[in-house]
Amino acid sequence: MEMMEKDAVLLKLAERLKAHGSWCGETHIQKSTYLLQEMLHVPLGFEFILYKHGPFSFELKDEIAEMRADTLLTWQEQPAPYGDSLIVAPLGTQMLESLKSDISPYDAQIEFVAEIINNRGVKDLEKLATAFYVRNTCGEIPPEEQVKKLCQFKPHITSDDARLAVQEIDRIISNTKAMG
Amino acid sequence: MKLKNEHEIRDPIHVFIHMNSDERRILDSPPIQRLRHIHQLALTSYVYPGASHTRFEHSIGTMEVATRIYDIVTDDSHNKYSDLTIDKSFDRQYWRRVIRLAALLHDIGHSPFSHAPEGLFPTGWNHERMTREIITSGYLDSLCRDLKIQADDVALLAVGPEKSDKKVVKNLEAILSEIIIGDSFGADRIDYLLRDSYHSGVAYGKFDHYRLIETLRILPKYYEDSEEPALGIEVGGLQSAEALLLARYFMFSQLYFHPIRRIYDIHLLDFLRVFLKGGKFPTEVDEYLKFTDNEIMTGIYAAYRDPKNPAHVYAKRIVERKHFKVLYSRNPIDIAKTTEAGKAIFEAACDKFGEDKIRYDPYVQKGSDVTFPVLEKDGRIVSSRMKSEVLNTLPVVKIDTVYVEPGLEETAKRWLKKEREGIIASKEMKK
Repeated sequence: MEMMEKDAVLLKLAERLKAHGSWCGETHIQKSTYLLQEMLHVPLGFEFILYKHGPFSFELKDEIAEMRADTLLTWQEQPAPYGDSLIVAPLGTQMLESLKSDISPYDAQIEFVAEIINNRGVKDLEKLATAFYVRNTCGEIPPEEQVKKLCQFKPHITSDDARLAVQEIDRIISNTKAMG
Repeated sequence: MKLKNEHEIRDPIHVFIHMNSDERRILDSPPIQRLRHIHQLALTSYVYPGASHTRFEHSIGTMEVATRIYDIVTDDSHNKYSDLTIDKSFDRQYWRRVIRLAALLHDIGHSPFSHAPEGLFPTGWNHERMTREIITSGYLDSLCRDLKIQADDVALLAVGPEKSDKKVVKNLEAILSEIIIGDSFGADRIDYLLRDSYHSGVAYGKFDHYRLIETLRILPKYYEDSEEPALGIEVGGLQSAEALLLARYFMFSQLYFHPIRRIYDIHLLDFLRVFLKGGKFPTEVDEYLKFTDNEIMTGIYAAYRDPKNPAHVYAKRIVERKHFKVLYSRNPIDIAKTTEAGKAIFEAACDKFGEDKIRYDPYVQKGSDVTFPVLEKDGRIVSSRMKSEVLNTLPVVKIDTVYVEPGLEETAKRWLKKEREGIIASKEMKK
């Protein structure tokens, strides 16, 4: 995917996250991009490792910084105690408009992810995205093994919460199949 | 007679730096001594003559700062949220030895002239990968064993999660590597800003690092509805954190991204592409470590004195300071039309004057994250962005510069004045 097209996908994602009531901080963009790329196969080409709040891409972090430098994205203050949101700036809206048809093949995937992320907090996203990371990278292992792995990777997540996240990821994957 | 086990090194930034005899043996090993011959800021001394300091002194300084941070953030008397204990087996003394060594070795894989020739590593390689290779190679692995530490732990903290080969990074490892190479308060950053400022004579890089370090804490990011620990600060240290991040912004805009400083990096690259075998650095550790600034400078002068040398033209640009001149730089009016204005002008200028006569330098400041937890006096933990107007308005520095050969400067400027709007319009984003 060309750089401008990739930026347009990220802008669209930020726009749709906000429309679905997401607080849309940097962590929300990180986790939703991970799902978009790895679960829904949108070819963004970012490399993710398990790091801050679950799957994390340093390349994506740099890309977001560059988009801020280009005034495509900007910070918007949120009421206490929350961190700030990343919102699409006027130049970003202009870019989205001009590349609308180029990125339209990904519209359904972006919408699907924005619906999943909805108004979830970071804690919730960390569980969900890490549960999918386990599923995506540890091969075919039974659900209870997935729970164990998740708790091993993120010791501050309880096994009950991990179990719920593993079950939810199962449901979400089934829904992606319904998307076709 | 008992031999002295503690040693002191005089340093212009940190005054005295202490190390024990085992660490001193590592300091005296050839891979670290090599850093005495690698300039911290490549050919920056061609613009700021005082900037002739080396990676060697920066490495020792980073070790000192990392130790001070580590001692503060792992001291339970300071930490209400001692989240390092998330890892039940946390061994404070072990990781202190590891972090000191990782900080000392964090730049050991740098090529001659530091960052400038980073693009001349073979595919899949960079200076961080060389750092890992050297730390885990025979040179240092046995010295690590003498210190009773694992070379792999040192390598991970030295290069950080981004450049390590680990796919899963534990909270403990993430925090400890943040102490060395973190975006907000990393020891590497603290030392290079202070040291580069001191040597270049650019005063913008100074800030109250004593106050900053005293107030660093490990804090959960409750404001993100998360318990994951991160390196944060007590509210009383917020102004010194702002001063660090402002210093970084000014140092990037005034020194690191100075257009003449940057063009010397490009001229050096042009020379090295011809000088190095196959145009790339070797990746075999012994061969790689043979290269320092001295070997390259000798090569530059040899090529300069021999007009038949294929690298003569590039050597001459450096030796006689006949660097390319700025034809175009990024500006907000053009960015409002397209983010690719510089690229468009570069391509058009190449078509007009030939690729040999034009150089292009697009670059964005990395590691610009300024979000970290702040501990309020009443015990609440909030985001730094909520507490600081300064951090909220701090821009990311980006450059997008096109250069032209000195003899063509006036002609090219006239050409650009005439063609500029048409060239940019060809890449313009539709309204």
